[in-house]
Amino acid sequence: MSVEERVKKIVMQQLRAREDEVTREARFVQDLGAESIDSIELMAAFEADFDIEIPPEEGERVQTVGEAVGYIEKKLKKL
Amino acid sequence: MKICIFEDEGYENLYPLSLTRPVFELKCGQVTLKERILRNFPGVYVSYFLRDYLTPVFSQDKKEVSVNEMEALKNENVLFINGRWLLSKGELNLTGEEEVGICGEETLYLRATTKTIKDCFSLNFREFIDSLKQKLKKKEVKARLVNYPWDLINNNCWALEEDFEFRVKKDVQGKLPSSATIYGEKDRVFIARSATIQPLVLLDSTKGSIYIDEEAIVFAHSHIKGPSYIGKKSQILGANIGEGISIGPTSRVGGEVEETIIHGFTNKAHRGFFGHSYLGEWINIGALCTNSDLKNDYSTVQVYIKGEFKDSEATKVGSFMGDHTKLGIGCLLNTGTIIGVGSNIVTAGKVLPKFIPSFTWYLNGKFYKGYGLKQIIETAKVVMSRRKVAISSEEVKVLEEAFKITKKEREKLIEKSKR
Repeated sequence: MSVEERVKKIVMQQLRAREDEVTREARFVQDLGAESIDSIELMAAFEADFDIEIPPEEGERVQTVGEAVGYIEKKLKKL
Repeated sequence: MKICIFEDEGYENLYPLSLTRPVFELKCGQVTLKERILRNFPGVYVSYFLRDYLTPVFSQDKKEVSVNEMEALKNENVLFINGRWLLSKGELNLTGEEEVGICGEETLYLRATTKTIKDCFSLNFREFIDSLKQKLKKKEVKARLVNYPWDLINNNCWALEEDFEFRVKKDVQGKLPSSATIYGEKDRVFIARSATIQPLVLLDSTKGSIYIDEEAIVFAHSHIKGPSYIGKKSQILGANIGEGISIGPTSRVGGEVEETIIHGFTNKAHRGFFGHSYLGEWINIGALCTNSDLKNDYSTVQVYIKGEFKDSEATKVGSFMGDHTKLGIGCLLNTGTIIGVGSNIVTAGKVLPKFIPSFTWYLNGKFYKGYGLKQIIETAKVVMSRRKVAISSEEVKVLEEAFKITKKEREKLIEKSKR
């Protein structure tokens, strides 16, 4: 499974969103209805699934599905 | 002769309450442990010794005292007093024999002359005290020493009564509407002149005194049992206030509370019960949050202290919460729960774990790092500004240090939650 597929799967699970809603452009807060609590849980789910560390200040800047994919791909390259 | 109030290594047992303040700034009764000591020695010069990172905040507005200055101890006889001592009226004399007062394994006080101080002098305060202890004659003393957070609660009724005697000079000064009732002795109730008591309030002094301080407001249908203290500018929102309650300044209290100390600037405005608990400053308790202070099997309560569960040897123990912590609606706290500084708790109806580290988000059964310290400080600024208080750079540094101190325990549980 690609990073994008894994990210989308996590987003669907965490935010209880439908597959067609979880596009690369979808914004976690405005489009997918994430509250601050959901965002914290989402970042933690990314950390656990990809075995990476997301500092809070970096996690805060990730606001769309596409940004999450890009951020995680970069992180994985650095490992 | 001067006095020196000091922190010893016992401060760690009082975490998270003592993470952001010296032990002698904790409250019991109406006042802090420091104020309780100082009122026994009016006009005497005071030195303080405390953890370095707390010094800048503690020293604010204290020009006439010395803080962590060894040289200040050299030129006079000194009475050293352990800051964890709940000193009672007339319990300790300023002058007397050179000696060290011992309570079990703990050092209560040391009285030493200039000569002995010079003989034992060291620039390290701990080493200096140890050296004095070796040299001075020992005296066994029975005392109320605060070893654990629940000791503050267990001594609160006693402290409230002593404080009432210490402060009250006159009878009720404020106005009491005709439909409000004092049930019990009237001279056991003090209402400050600027306090407001609304109609249909019941002040029950049959078991202890009640002190309602300046600008406090007791709203209609509140039931307050003594001994209790309602601090300056605090509001009682139709609450059931059981005995043994100390509410510091500018707090809002609703629902039901008993045998609890609220340090100050804290909101527990809604329904829900808190008992045998100590809540720090700038805490917000959501509606319907409730703590247990008694186990169903009536056994003694275990509390997480210094990385392990300690038997409190008490059957009634509530929860202890550090400054700036927020509890979302409907949190259920187990008997003897410790929640650190700056934590954020949201649950889905299940009882919380008995230990939640400082600066942790606990969401629906898992620990998270949340948005980090920066965001917690931003939230603290907003919360404090609502009460017209600005957080100082020194206070921010205290939070930063507390964040570092608690890093390991926090990361351990966050990591565990990922698995």
